[in-house]
Amino acid sequence: MVGKQGRVTGKIGPGLVGEVMIPIRGGVEAFYAHPSVPDEEFGIGSIVIVVEYFPPRTVYVARALV
Amino acid sequence: MSPELYIAAAGVILAAVVIILLFKAVWRVAEPNEALIISGLGARRRGEGGVDSLGFKIVTGKGTAVLPGFQAARRLRLDTRAANLQVSCVTQQGIPVHIRGVVIYKVGDDLSSIANAARRFLDQQDFMTSAIHELFTGHLRSIIGNLTIEDLILNRERLTSETRASAADEMSKLGLIVDSLQIQEIDDETGYIVNLGKPHAAKVAATARIAQAQRDQEATEAEQVAVANMAAARRDARIKEAAYQAEIDQAQATSRQAGPLSEATARQEVVVQETKAAELEAKLAEQRLQSQVRKPADAKAYETVTLSQAERDARIAQAEAEAKETELRAAAQASQIKLAAAAEAESVRLRGEAAGAATKIAGEAESEATRLRGMAEADAARAKGLAQAEAIKARAEALASNQEAVVAQQLAERWPEIVEAGAKAFGNVDHMVVLNGAQGVEEMLAKALTLGGAGLGLARALLNGGSPNGAEPEIIHKTTESRE
Repeated sequence: MVGKQGRVTGKIGPGLVGEVMIPIRGGVEAFYAHPSVPDEEFGIGSIVIVVEYFPPRTVYVARALV
Repeated sequence: MSPELYIAAAGVILAAVVIILLFKAVWRVAEPNEALIISGLGARRRGEGGVDSLGFKIVTGKGTAVLPGFQAARRLRLDTRAANLQVSCVTQQGIPVHIRGVVIYKVGDDLSSIANAARRFLDQQDFMTSAIHELFTGHLRSIIGNLTIEDLILNRERLTSETRASAADEMSKLGLIVDSLQIQEIDDETGYIVNLGKPHAAKVAATARIAQAQRDQEATEAEQVAVANMAAARRDARIKEAAYQAEIDQAQATSRQAGPLSEATARQEVVVQETKAAELEAKLAEQRLQSQVRKPADAKAYETVTLSQAERDARIAQAEAEAKETELRAAAQASQIKLAAAAEAESVRLRGEAAGAATKIAGEAESEATRLRGMAEADAARAKGLAQAEAIKARAEALASNQEAVVAQQLAERWPEIVEAGAKAFGNVDHMVVLNGAQGVEEMLAKALTLGGAGLGLARALLNGGSPNGAEPEIIHKTTESRE
């Protein structure tokens, strides 16, 4: 799970619960997302990489170096 | 075929059927939309953490053998589920609204979610919807309370974000994930939403009306222009038509008049020729007159003029000669008369003187004679008057003595006048027819005279009766008059 890249579908930022679509198990699932670095923001459509995964559906993401 | 073979074949088939049935009783397959939760013998498996384990086995997407009696296999459906929500709440602005929505959720696909959900809902999967309904009713109320109606309507991002922020943790606890939250209907008792749209609607309506009016105006203008153009075209067409019609009429009239015109032209030619002929005849007649009448007349006139001029000249010359002669003669006579007159004047003077002397002597003699004659006549007249007076005196005496005789004498003196008066009776008769000839005339005259005689008698009676003495002065008067 960690290391996978995903697309932001809900704005990620401090005080917000963002959403990331991540391909997994042959499909694509939505995960609740938070920034791994505090005060970092990701707008919708940004590509992020999963840094931490907290089951069942929470990930911490960082900006992907595309 | 031996009976043993049949038995063996039947035994094989039976064995196969038994095996299939046995396998079917043991082997369970998890379909894609479900998870097999297997608990019992051998299901307790060491988890990743080592110490704590799941306590049951979760199988998804594959088959597994379940030992009847030793293991229990239950299916947890992973399908999408929907829960209808109805919430009465207030928005961030305090506007009361009645929200009707739907939340679409499912059991998460990862093992943790399946485990959480299995622990909670495995035996009461139908209860899941009511639980979610209760859960989301509260969440929706808080979500709506954080939003304005404009956000609710327009800002889906905000809505989903609030939904996640509000419900994420609790849903994770239940092993569920929210696929979607939809607001189906917002009942707005205060009319906020309706009023929200009104300015724009009015603006749009105004724009629409303006546009419509402008288009209408343009259309009307275009129509009027078109109508005007049509009228102009119609007018032009009619003008051209009239012009062509006029040409047609003219041509028709011309063609119609062509016959009479040519006839008239021909007749005109004839008349011209006739006129020329008449003129020629007139000229001929004139020439004839000239030659037959005028020339002789001119010649005669000329002759007469010439003759009269010659005669006049001759007379003038004669007159002049006579005048000269007369003049000379008059002069001679004048001198002659002058001499004669002088001589006569002298003789007259002498004769006058002689006559004067003679007349003077004669006058004296005659006056003497006249004087003497007058004296003689006067004497004679005096004597005659005396004699008449004597006679009248005597007649008066006689009248006084015998009046009848006097009257008869007077009547006898007046007899012709009486007869004339009797004849006057017949003077007024225009036509007198006498039937018995000359004898009748005599009788008639005799009667008239008899009447006159009767009148005479009457007159005499009047003289006698009316004024017997009146006759005398009249007669005397008459006598005096006659004497004078």
